[in-house]
Amino acid sequence: MILTPKIVARIAAIGLIGVLLQLSFFSQVELFHVSPDILPALVVCLALLGGSLTGAVAGFSIGLFLDCLLVEALGVSSLVLLSVGYLAGLFRERFEIHNSLVPALLCMGLTLAAELGFAAIQLMLGIDAPVSLLIVRDMLLKSVYAFFLGWPIYLLVRRLLRPALVEEQKLPRRRQPRVLGA
Amino acid sequence: MYRKQVRRRRAVLALLIVGSFALLTITYGRGSNGLQRGVSTIFSPVQGVADRALKPARDLVDWFDETFDAKGENSRLKSQLVKVRAQAVAGQEATQENAQLRKLVELDQGPVLAASAYEPVTGRVIARSPTLWRSSVTIDVGSGDGVHVDDPVISGDGVVGRIAAAEPGSSQVMLLTDHASAITAKVLPAGVQGVIKPEVGDPEHLILDFIDSTKLVHGGQTVVTAGWCTQGLCSLFPPGLPLGEVTKASIVDQEAKEQADVRPFADIRNLDLVQVLTGGSRG
Repeated sequence: MILTPKIVARIAAIGLIGVLLQLSFFSQVELFHVSPDILPALVVCLALLGGSLTGAVAGFSIGLFLDCLLVEALGVSSLVLLSVGYLAGLFRERFEIHNSLVPALLCMGLTLAAELGFAAIQLMLGIDAPVSLLIVRDMLLKSVYAFFLGWPIYLLVRRLLRPALVEEQKLPRRRQPRVLGA
Repeated sequence: MYRKQVRRRRAVLALLIVGSFALLTITYGRGSNGLQRGVSTIFSPVQGVADRALKPARDLVDWFDETFDAKGENSRLKSQLVKVRAQAVAGQEATQENAQLRKLVELDQGPVLAASAYEPVTGRVIARSPTLWRSSVTIDVGSGDGVHVDDPVISGDGVVGRIAAAEPGSSQVMLLTDHASAITAKVLPAGVQGVIKPEVGDPEHLILDFIDSTKLVHGGQTVVTAGWCTQGLCSLFPPGLPLGEVTKASIVDQEAKEQADVRPFADIRNLDLVQVLTGGSRG
């Protein structure tokens, strides 16, 4: 990805709108008593298009903005989302994405990783109440929702950042030779 | 060249990780700071607009969710529901608001709040935390409307939580299902006192802890705020505010753990309008 000031502004706007949408819409709707969390999926998509550094910086910034709006201790969401962004970017740099299911599967896997990471940090910081097993169902369903939401998010983010993407030129498909009379 | 890039990437990553830990160390358990106040002040009007604009879409998703939950519907009712769905979604918002405001007015005029001279300020939920580990909502009233930190927050059904941070145009409400929440409560009519604590991850289950094991509590009994006051130290909640209903209170649990299970009256999952009890006398 070629980062120009205009593209950085676009990434910032995507992050800002993503956080506002999460707080005002996705956190307030429930399917099977669980609210979707699109922020890990959004960071994964940005990292898949921009690489590990873009993913880590985007994750850190989105997490910081989220913690600011929720008036929570700063750094928790930043740490989780920057890890998710870095891992997704590293995947992009090490492997080629041949299958269109890969972004959605990565969104699912890394959303689960983000939920586990968030739980680990919260437990380390101290929980003053017993924890219900329903939290496991919440984590699993959130990652399933991320699978279904990851693909449209990826397409949308790719469309918005298209001017900055260095795409491989598609080779013209070879025509199969035809045997006359066959 | 490549090595230089890798080194730069690792340096930025290390900087971000150290930055996150530094922020966490500096801000953990210290309430809101200047950055958060600034961001909240700038974005709370935007959140308010986004909340209102997205309300019909939220209602539509909720409608689907409720439909999945419903059982035993016959085909005639289903076809009717499909026909009136569009109308229902359009009218749902106004009806919900009306019902909630009516309930709030009834609670306002109750003997408990009238006696303690609270001034209720009505607010709308404009944002919600995306994780169950932090159970909080943002409302569109703040210190500019007379809201202060630790003010009790109620809905038409009962206690919802308390104010954790108040900015000029918005406030953060720590819900009673947050892991840090604890409210002194008593069971009616037995008068058994205890502390209402949440079970993280289950918004429909509270625990009445530290109850007196010599007095038995039974299922179906109502739990209200205790509202104690001793040696100048008072509870944040006035006495008598409805909290929930005892669902399970086995003798074993009461004697061994000094606990009983409680279901909250307030629908914590679907909060829309709430009231902040400002001023008044604590306890």
